[in-house]
Amino acid sequence: MNWNNIRLIYCKEISGAIRDRRTLISMIIIPLIFYPLLFLGIGYFTMAGQQKSDTVASVVAVKGGEYAPGLIEILKQNEKIQMISLTEDLSEGLESGEFYLLMEIPENFNVNINEESTQSITIQYDSTAQYSQTARRRITDLLEEFKQQIVQTRLEKLGLSLDYIQPLDTQWLDISSDERKAGAILGMLLPYIIVILIFIGAMHSAIDITAGEKERGTMATLLVSQLSRLEIVIGKYFTVMTISATSMLLGLLGLSIAFLTPAYVLGELSLIKIHFSFYTFILFFLILAPLVGLASAILLLIGIFARSNKEASTYVTPIYMIAIFLGMISLSQGMELAEPMFFIPILNNSFTFRELLMGIIDWEHILPTLLSNVTIAIIALLIAAYLFTRENVLFRS
Amino acid sequence: MIQVKKLSKVFHDKKRGEIIAVNNIGFHCEKGQIFGLLGPNGAGKTTTLRILATMMTPTSGEAFVNGYNVEKEAHKVRQSIGFLSGETGLYDRFTPRETILFFGKINGMSRREIEKRMAEIFQILGIKDFQDVRVDKLSTGMKQKLSIARAIIHNPPVLIFDEPTVGLDVITARVVIEYIRGFKKQGKCIIFSTHQMHEAEKLCDDIAIIHLGRILSMGTLEELRKKILVADLEEIFFKLIEKESHI
Repeated sequence: MNWNNIRLIYCKEISGAIRDRRTLISMIIIPLIFYPLLFLGIGYFTMAGQQKSDTVASVVAVKGGEYAPGLIEILKQNEKIQMISLTEDLSEGLESGEFYLLMEIPENFNVNINEESTQSITIQYDSTAQYSQTARRRITDLLEEFKQQIVQTRLEKLGLSLDYIQPLDTQWLDISSDERKAGAILGMLLPYIIVILIFIGAMHSAIDITAGEKERGTMATLLVSQLSRLEIVIGKYFTVMTISATSMLLGLLGLSIAFLTPAYVLGELSLIKIHFSFYTFILFFLILAPLVGLASAILLLIGIFARSNKEASTYVTPIYMIAIFLGMISLSQGMELAEPMFFIPILNNSFTFRELLMGIIDWEHILPTLLSNVTIAIIALLIAAYLFTRENVLFRS
Repeated sequence: MIQVKKLSKVFHDKKRGEIIAVNNIGFHCEKGQIFGLLGPNGAGKTTTLRILATMMTPTSGEAFVNGYNVEKEAHKVRQSIGFLSGETGLYDRFTPRETILFFGKINGMSRREIEKRMAEIFQILGIKDFQDVRVDKLSTGMKQKLSIARAIIHNPPVLIFDEPTVGLDVITARVVIEYIRGFKKQGKCIIFSTHQMHEAEKLCDDIAIIHLGRILSMGTLEELRKKILVADLEEIFFKLIEKESHI
């Protein structure tokens, strides 16, 4: 095996890839521009929607308001509540968005309250509308306040204070920092994004330089040259790895830039600031490298096996779906992985990434991850190299 | 320079079973000679040439190119051959200069050697005018000229041409034929496959008529005429195939 020959193939493939618009799109445009914009877009619209529903006053329709003057007074005093009185049942106004809540107060409301019994009250709302949800939250708080007033009056009658029914005052203090919370969010999202970036970036070029070369008839000219088959496979493998790694790194860069944008655009996502120690940083890339190697080997193997670009794309789709699925498991919050599961590629990466992002370094998880990914990558590459020597694979028709 | 002895190639197909693509063939071709494999599609021409070019291994028999065994000394064989087929086998996104530089390098040449020989070849083949234009912008004729340049950049003593004129217009096909004739004058050993009678008639010193993997008859055009007793190569060809079908 001659490294100079491998370099020749590598340089040829890379310069071919750089001149291919499709590779450029999947390697540079998608990770560096498309993904960050997608993130910013989602952040912006979520934030904008949230802000709007927080600032707009909730229109609450009340039927029978005259039976509960005390409650109505509380509602009127709150500036985030805009009350309208209804004399007849007009619940279609709720559906049309004319008002966000419909509160019906029964005739004997005050009588029951004063007689110290329980008075039920019905409030209609629309759980699918953001405004209605906000109105419900606000009214719940106000009703709680109203309830407290009644309880206090009743207790005073008995010569008791409010403390009598509140023997315990519990204070819950969240000690996790904003960064840590953000790390947990990012820990769920990032592994998934990384898996997509690694596969999407390399997919097109891996197929193009294998099945594509067969289809265009250029493979034969390589086979009759003085390059050995192994040199060709390794040169192509390094090419796919480079493109895959570039796509992933540009994707991470794009996301970092997206996170630097002002908080009012990003909302909660702006809290995401990861403080990596140098050691964790190195570990992060140590785990990433075999994943890139694994994805590249599998894609190359498929490309070599397939007869044409089209056939290769068909084979790649289910593999990509499996990768996405394994990456997606990390999105489920609170899920813990049993130790043997750390031998499952991609899944293991997702979880070790998540741990690293939260500052946890567990070698019992990192070692199986590295071991299994490197082993499977080598096996896939060996199969790819073997297939490349098989004439029934190279000249399938 | 090329010696083929009792060469056979069998493919296994799940549906069709065993397919004998090349059936016990033998021939030889010397320096300064053009040997033609003439036969219809599926005759076994491409498989034979792929075995000679070390892309495939024979099921039985032997073949030697420039004195090297195609199976055991594949690397040495590849150093000795230039291969060209109907599929131009060029990279669309490279220019002719880049293409030749790459193929020169992967055939073990130094940059200086490549530059020198490239200048000569580009001059002879008339590639200079479009040497810096991307291949995907070139006409079929230009591409085929470049393919020839690619096949001969490392100055191999043996040239293997698998239907080099297929899909070309008459003018370009004629140009290619002229170049092949020129290589013969340079003393190269050329093996050439075609299904076009007039090409074989014009070019070849020796012709083997191949059908369903077997050589039906072989010799110079004169010898074939004497054997079959018809003057025209096309007639010779059809007589042989007809005879074969009766058997």
